Amino acid sequence: MTEDQHLETDFARNANGTVIEVENLHKDYGDIAAVDGITFSVNPGETYGLLGPNGAGKTTTMRLLSGLSPATSGSIAVAGIDVIKDNRAVRELMGVVTQHDGLDGGLTVFQNLFLYGFLAGLSRARAKERAHEVLEFFSLRDRSKANVYELSGGMKRRLAIARSMMTSPKVIVMDEPTTGLDPQSRNRVWEEMAVLKDSGVTILLSTHYMEEATILCDRLSIMDHGKILDEGTPDQMIERHAPKEVAQLRVVPAALRSVREYLTGRNISYREVGALVSVTGANGDRPDLSGLEGVEGVRTSYRAGNLEDVFLAITGRELRDG
Amino acid sequence: MNISIPALIPTLGIRRRSVSGIWLRHAVSFLRYWKFVITWVIIEPVVVLVAVGMGIGKLVTEVEGADSYAEFVTPGLIMGSAMFHALFETSWNAYNRIENDVYETALTTPITVTEITLGDILWAVTRSLMTTVGVAVFAVILGWLNGWSAVGIMIPAVMVGAVFGTMGFLFSAVAPHTTFLTLVFTLVATPLYFFSGAFFPISILPDWVEPIAWAMPLTPGVHVARGFALGSFDITHLWAAIYMVALTAVMWPVAIYLLRRRLIR
Repeated sequence: MTEDQHLETDFARNANGTVIEVENLHKDYGDIAAVDGITFSVNPGETYGLLGPNGAGKTTTMRLLSGLSPATSGSIAVAGIDVIKDNRAVRELMGVVTQHDGLDGGLTVFQNLFLYGFLAGLSRARAKERAHEVLEFFSLRDRSKANVYELSGGMKRRLAIARSMMTSPKVIVMDEPTTGLDPQSRNRVWEEMAVLKDSGVTILLSTHYMEEATILCDRLSIMDHGKILDEGTPDQMIERHAPKEVAQLRVVPAALRSVREYLTGRNISYREVGALVSVTGANGDRPDLSGLEGVEGVRTSYRAGNLEDVFLAITGRELRDG
Repeated sequence: MNISIPALIPTLGIRRRSVSGIWLRHAVSFLRYWKFVITWVIIEPVVVLVAVGMGIGKLVTEVEGADSYAEFVTPGLIMGSAMFHALFETSWNAYNRIENDVYETALTTPITVTEITLGDILWAVTRSLMTTVGVAVFAVILGWLNGWSAVGIMIPAVMVGAVFGTMGFLFSAVAPHTTFLTLVFTLVATPLYFFSGAFFPISILPDWVEPIAWAMPLTPGVHVARGFALGSFDITHLWAAIYMVALTAVMWPVAIYLLRRRLIR
């Protein structure tokens, strides 16, 4: 988009070269530990994901990182700034996309951007100029004078991301960037995030979509009950925890009972997700389902193991169950 | 709960950009809808002023210190309107800003809760001034207020705006739902409007009610405004002004504390 969007290698880092460094972070609400001792770090230019169901502590982690919430204990460093001690300084350099867009319904699209930029410290002239730039980049220029409530969900989300770009931040945290969006809007947001990443922006995102984590993240953590259970690249995680192949049986209700009996009789482990029966063989190999061939109302297909399976393997629960 | 002592003390490091940014946001938003808001800022209080001044004014032939009832009631009504606008701004409007994450978004920039309250209170004062100017001009045209008095009552208007702009947060920051905010009007605005000496001198109230009426936070505003309107001052006007400044100074840290508790969890 503009010059300051191009790759910069000299932006501020922590002493050890990372951009975000979280150590043994805790956040308690009364007796509940929302974040229960997490440690992770994000390297310059990296897109890092926190993958977990609702209530895993992702949003709380995001709020702690952006200085919106005081930590109970632990340490957070962002680009050399101690967030616990100086949360105003971190808000000067970090872009934040909160979970609920937080758009101002009393203002137009353009005014949302302009006033945010002004509040963040840009001069009036620069805030106006920058608002035009980000509207252009996010293809929202023709909606510039629209009321926020006239926008579609996807546009609102993209406007919220555009707003975080007003100060041309080198680090952005995004809390569930595509939750609630239709597939088309989601793809669009992903494309735009890819461009940001390409320009050298370090991104920390939270998500409960395994597809999103797979596509966007260089590295990710699996989070549940306020804890990080494992960390790695998506491929590493799948190799470590997921079966190579998973059989998926689409079963009509009438045939469900005989399928269950067949699998139980052969000691094959399975789980039912909606109308699907997922079957994983021993050692992650293809299970022997020959006995189900020709059974009416059963269609079998195979897919590769994915992050959904990783989550199940680590926590014993479905990611989408919450 | 995580309550820290520093939250009770307004930070000294107030960033001017944050305060002006919040004020500007309200001004921009106001200008988008000014045609509607102006009816409440000027037309509604003018309707009340004319009705009371011309209607009740005909029945009341004698009122202490003033030549006519209309002259007596004008500064009171203007301060009443100033109170309503300031209070509405930081109760209803601020509550909506809490609920719609407007403050949350602002807090992702380098801004503090203290600065948010300051920007909002300044905007509340601005609204008090708007209604004061609007109605005062009308009163001058009607001959119920002289020009210099109209300029003078800007001073109590600012003070009333600060008192009630600050007070509004004591409701919005703790309100569980909008219905709760009805209390702002049933418990505060409406009783104060009628018992703060706007419509009749406090001296005609029963002896035991008088001190209560004097303690009401709108009373000093009406008292000072009437001093300007009638052009006569004594030491009580100074006390009234000090009382308003003190009320604001006491409520502001509480407002910051309550809003912090609501926004920073």
